[in-house]
Amino acid sequence: MNGVFAAALLVLCGAAGLALIRPHLAMGAAAVGSAVLCAVGVVSAGGWSDARVDLGTWLGFGPSALVADRLSGIFLALVGGTAAAVSVALAERPTRRAAATLHVLVVLALAAVLGADQAFVFFLAWETLSVCLYILGSLGRDRPAALAAAYFASAVNKVGGAAILAAFALLYGQTGSFEFSDWQQAAPGLGTTHDVAFVLLLVGFGTKIGLLPFQVPLPGLYQAAPAATAATIAVAFNAGFYGLWRLVYGTLAPASLWWGELLVMVGGLGAIAGILYAVVQDDVKRFLGFSSVEHGGIALVGLGVALIGQSANKPELAAAGLLAATLHVIMHGIAKAGAFLGAQNVAEATGERTTGPLGGLATRLPGTALGFGLAVLTLAALPPFGGFVSEWFTLEALLQGFRLKNSDAQLFMALGGAMVALTAGIALLAFARLFGGIFLGRPRRRLEPEPETRRGGIGFVAFGVTLLFLGAAAPWEIRWLGKGLSGVLGFDPAETTIRHPLVLGPVYKDFSVLSPTWLTLAIPTFLVAAALLVRVLLKPPVRRAPVWLSGTAPDIAAVQYTPEGYANPIRVVLAGLYGFRRTIQPEGGGRQPERLALSTRVVPAFEHYLYEPLVAAGLRLSGFSRRLQSGRLGLYLLYVLLVLLGALAMIPALRH
Amino acid sequence: MLEWIPRGLHRGIVTTAYPRRPEEAPPGFRGRVALRGDEPASAELEAVCPTGAIRSTGGRVSLDRGRCILCSACVAADPSRFEFEPEYETAARRRGALIVNDSERAPGELRRTLAQQSRTLRRSIHVRHVDAGSDGAEEWEISALTNPFYDMQRLGLFFTLSPRHADILLVTGGVTRPMETPLLRAFEVMPHPKAVVAAGTDACSGGLATGVGGVAGGVDEVLPVDVYVPGSPPSPIALLHGLLLAAGVVTREAAA
Amino acid sequence: MTAGSTIPAGEAHEFLDGRFRAVREPAPPGEQRLLLPIGVVDRAAALLLERRARFVAMFLRPERSLAVAFAVRGQLVALQASVDRTSSFPSLALLSPAFRLPERELHDLHGIVPLGHPDLASVLDPDPDHLRRRVEGEGTFLIPYGPIRSGVFESIQHVIETGGEDVLALGVRPYFKRRGLESRFDGLTPGDGATVAERVAGIASVAHACAFTHAVERALGVEPSPRAQLWRVVHAELERIANHLDVATRLAEDAGLSVGVARFGILKEQVMRLRARLCGSRFGRGVVVPGGISAEPLLSTTEIRSILNELERDLRRDRKLLLRTPSFTDRLIGSGTLEPITVDAYAGIGPVARGSGIPTDARFERPYGAYRRLGFRIATAEDGDAMARLEVRFDEIRESIHLIRQALERDAKEEDEPAAELPAATGAAFGWAEAPMGELVYWVEVAEGRLQTVRISSPSLRNWPVFAAAFRGDVLTDFSFIEHSFGLTPAGADR
Repeated sequence: MNGVFAAALLVLCGAAGLALIRPHLAMGAAAVGSAVLCAVGVVSAGGWSDARVDLGTWLGFGPSALVADRLSGIFLALVGGTAAAVSVALAERPTRRAAATLHVLVVLALAAVLGADQAFVFFLAWETLSVCLYILGSLGRDRPAALAAAYFASAVNKVGGAAILAAFALLYGQTGSFEFSDWQQAAPGLGTTHDVAFVLLLVGFGTKIGLLPFQVPLPGLYQAAPAATAATIAVAFNAGFYGLWRLVYGTLAPASLWWGELLVMVGGLGAIAGILYAVVQDDVKRFLGFSSVEHGGIALVGLGVALIGQSANKPELAAAGLLAATLHVIMHGIAKAGAFLGAQNVAEATGERTTGPLGGLATRLPGTALGFGLAVLTLAALPPFGGFVSEWFTLEALLQGFRLKNSDAQLFMALGGAMVALTAGIALLAFARLFGGIFLGRPRRRLEPEPETRRGGIGFVAFGVTLLFLGAAAPWEIRWLGKGLSGVLGFDPAETTIRHPLVLGPVYKDFSVLSPTWLTLAIPTFLVAAALLVRVLLKPPVRRAPVWLSGTAPDIAAVQYTPEGYANPIRVVLAGLYGFRRTIQPEGGGRQPERLALSTRVVPAFEHYLYEPLVAAGLRLSGFSRRLQSGRLGLYLLYVLLVLLGALAMIPALRH
Repeated sequence: MLEWIPRGLHRGIVTTAYPRRPEEAPPGFRGRVALRGDEPASAELEAVCPTGAIRSTGGRVSLDRGRCILCSACVAADPSRFEFEPEYETAARRRGALIVNDSERAPGELRRTLAQQSRTLRRSIHVRHVDAGSDGAEEWEISALTNPFYDMQRLGLFFTLSPRHADILLVTGGVTRPMETPLLRAFEVMPHPKAVVAAGTDACSGGLATGVGGVAGGVDEVLPVDVYVPGSPPSPIALLHGLLLAAGVVTREAAA
Repeated sequence: MTAGSTIPAGEAHEFLDGRFRAVREPAPPGEQRLLLPIGVVDRAAALLLERRARFVAMFLRPERSLAVAFAVRGQLVALQASVDRTSSFPSLALLSPAFRLPERELHDLHGIVPLGHPDLASVLDPDPDHLRRRVEGEGTFLIPYGPIRSGVFESIQHVIETGGEDVLALGVRPYFKRRGLESRFDGLTPGDGATVAERVAGIASVAHACAFTHAVERALGVEPSPRAQLWRVVHAELERIANHLDVATRLAEDAGLSVGVARFGILKEQVMRLRARLCGSRFGRGVVVPGGISAEPLLSTTEIRSILNELERDLRRDRKLLLRTPSFTDRLIGSGTLEPITVDAYAGIGPVARGSGIPTDARFERPYGAYRRLGFRIATAEDGDAMARLEVRFDEIRESIHLIRQALERDAKEEDEPAAELPAATGAAFGWAEAPMGELVYWVEVAEGRLQTVRISSPSLRNWPVFAAAFRGDVLTDFSFIEHSFGLTPAGADR
């Protein structure tokens, strides 16, 4: 396998170079390379064979290698698979050279992050990833808003990078090694450093996955990314989860109880915040961005349960949480990448990025509608799709709180359950709005969408079938996932999770059961049976009559619910939370009483109350430091002297 | 909320037993106008009626109850010939059956009732009301059908909000110009089999408004009408009679 | 009483004359007609409005003479000007939104152009498919509610503009059932005219008959017998009770209060049956004729009294229970709140105005018939919401029962007289009555015993714009509560 892994990486390197000359060909190569990465991941996670590419010691920080072990195998499979799909989609449409190159570089950086066996390589790859994402976001130079969004995202990512660097430095200082395995052995005896490292790593990886309150720049970055590369960013999103899985759960074990409690709360709140912002978004990519925040939150809740289980020494609870969270990351990683590609298809066919003017595209873009629709069903966690299985697992894991002795943890898990359930409810509304607004009804503005290409349509149908298959085949996926997670858990949770070849339970035996496979068979069967029953037994004579609208036949587009209108009740009910206000005034100051203008205003709470004051404070601080920069040599010499004296004073203090 | 329960019970049962037992109108009730005797009359009698319900052809007087708005002009002018009758059951399935002493013998079209058209439509008949230009009184009498005195649900009759669920279209008023298209649309989206009941004199013939503004005539100018319920407005029992006639639940039509 | 008119009664003439050289046309008492040059109508109207006159009616008299009538304390003041030469007049619509619809109606009917009117699109022949959008903004859309609406309702179209859930603006489109009844009067005898008037708005048959006969009687200088006047009051007040009970029934239905619906349905049906037993018609038709009443009541006063007593007792308890039911009151309190200033601007009348604390009532402002001799209080409420309007109606039912009792008492003392004979004379006058929906005004011109011109200023038409203005932050589910709390009838508005 080692050779295959190396070959995949080499193909990707080649593709990165080729993309500067022949982007389409390079995307094909990238698809092949990514697919091989996926295969490597599947094999190594399944425990059939490990893959390893030695990098030697040339980096100068000890021996290093890219290793596909069981845990990284899971993420390699996810990243490789989705990246392959995105590469195919990029190959199908005119793609700028720079964007194509960056796409391949992102995949390579991801492979390096996932494979890194020691901190230095990991950090190098992580920073490469951040830089690539920043450049990708700022490719839309013609749109100042996009540029600003990319800058904002990269600034927050920089904070994250700094936190990770600080954590690594701290751990290196305590262990004298960059090897993850050394850290893992030393972790139990680290004392306070242990908790500090956890917080730093949480902030570091949290910036990538949109942990509260770092979720703010994420939707903007998706929106800024040119064309289909928003899907690339969605793929890169997984690196943050891998970091948490590998370094927090796998390396810093055993966790303190409050880590898990904190994650359950922050994750739950993040999920609610994400979906509440998503439901009122009009821009499709921003919508999907906020929905990523929501799903990140749900995955963090699962990880929180796992950490609680770890600290309470309940391996089954830990397994239930981690299994749920991992399945959630996988299902949403796949569906989200597809949804971004679908959104791009819609944007290219109509020239519209927002749902407002759209509607009724199902007839013009049937393949996209099917693929996007099934992705949305997955994201909205409806049975029998994979998203439902993973959210069901998350809720079931949260319900195991009664097994704990600690009443705080019980309370937090119960709260987490309530928040996940609330999120799921609003998500249903949000995704109904998204899909209905784009594909159902009639176009709200006169649009001449270009019909989808035959191949594009087939691609989306294939994507939809994959999603359906992933839901139906959940028991087999969990078998595989159990093997992959046994690396960090120490046992294979699939053995108790699968009660019967097709029936699943939440790790604990005799708690509850679910069979997504049977659901996949039963739901369509019942639908078809009901239709047949009516058609064959009752044989109603069918006559088509126009829509009944109080006796009127107006332009349907003017009287159908708008996507904003659909979400408006939530906006009105939570007006305080959104800072929502709207005013209606006669146009022209009352001289034209027959025409009224509606203006709406939403205050984005996090920007307004957290980031803007921070930025203001930063500007004040830099203003102050500019005053220090007088340009006089003597003053600079004085600074140097002061710093030196300070450093000297620290020595005896540290020696103590 | 619980206090409503004794409040609802304290009156006991007030519901009529119609159509199982006939319902008596109070004395002096202006249910319809009766034409007495057949002494010949001069043509000037026609001018008494503001809606042209009275015809005098060769001395033979006929009265079209489908045009009569119960205004008492004829009763005041010739009390020996015209008289109010306290009669509730005024509905008929043929337009011609509403004409007393019909000189032209125009029976009008007899359409099949819902019961004759479909064996499944015996109970649970859904009624959609459409106001095509009434004076508003008919609507009050139609809504009275759901009050405890008449309680039409006990007979399996229900009002429905969408004509797509309706079996009977209950039309009031002569059809004004702006209401013609909406009325036709309502009829079109109804599933088969369907019946149309013209409720009130205005719906039967256009009434007072015929010819002055936008009202061309009765509902049968626009739609095939199954049952005519004259009256200005028809009483709730008359409306019930009309609906049950259209459904085919009762067959007894208004006596001449 | 229009809130604090500053013109003493009878001085409108002198007041306007000094400025515009108005010429006074002779008119029956309680009415002033001032002939003005067409160009100053807007300034004269503005001066009247400044002095808190209330717009009442706008119509065209024969020989293309425009008449704009205002209620000025205890008087109807009609400004008249010939539009024969100009075929246009300065629009009053910018003075008050109350003029918008009547001016558009004039424009459609007679082709007279109100210069400066903000919107002269045709209204009289509405096209249900052509929906106009007034609100521009993110995510707004229209909901056409009507002409065929969800339930047993009269036909009217409400175009609701919404951004989802909240009503941003409401376009009320009447005239779907315009039968053209005003021209139906032409050439009829006043007796037949009463038959037509009764069928303009069926649920206010008695009020229409009273206002019409009042106008005819004033035009011809006839006074009906005191006893006829008393019986007119009995029928008119029974009609008011039935209307108000109908509103209560509908509101209870909107709140899904089925026992409440049944209870108020029973009460209303009892009133309808009382009316049927009293005169043979459940709507009191055929009773009020020019000159008096047509027939003897079929019930004894004792019977009427005992039915009323029972009704009052039942109603008191049902009302108490209804207003104590939170699932009902929660939907009404704060829904469709109208500030008095809005009601004034739109010249709102009837229970709608009284619910906002404006004590306007034709029975009190310009007492007519037996109301001149009977005592009653004007029911008002301050909050201006759907609840306030309902409370006004309940109080009015109490006052109506009180009025009927007084009328029955006085009836025993009055002599029996037949209806007064109408001379085949010529004349013109306003006549009015307080219909259950508000002040109803007829303009009638009789020439040699035949009706020449009849114009109706219906309270429903005058209150529809107020209804549209009542939506301030209300949501779609409040719609039926607000509409039913207004208790208007499209038939009366459309005519």
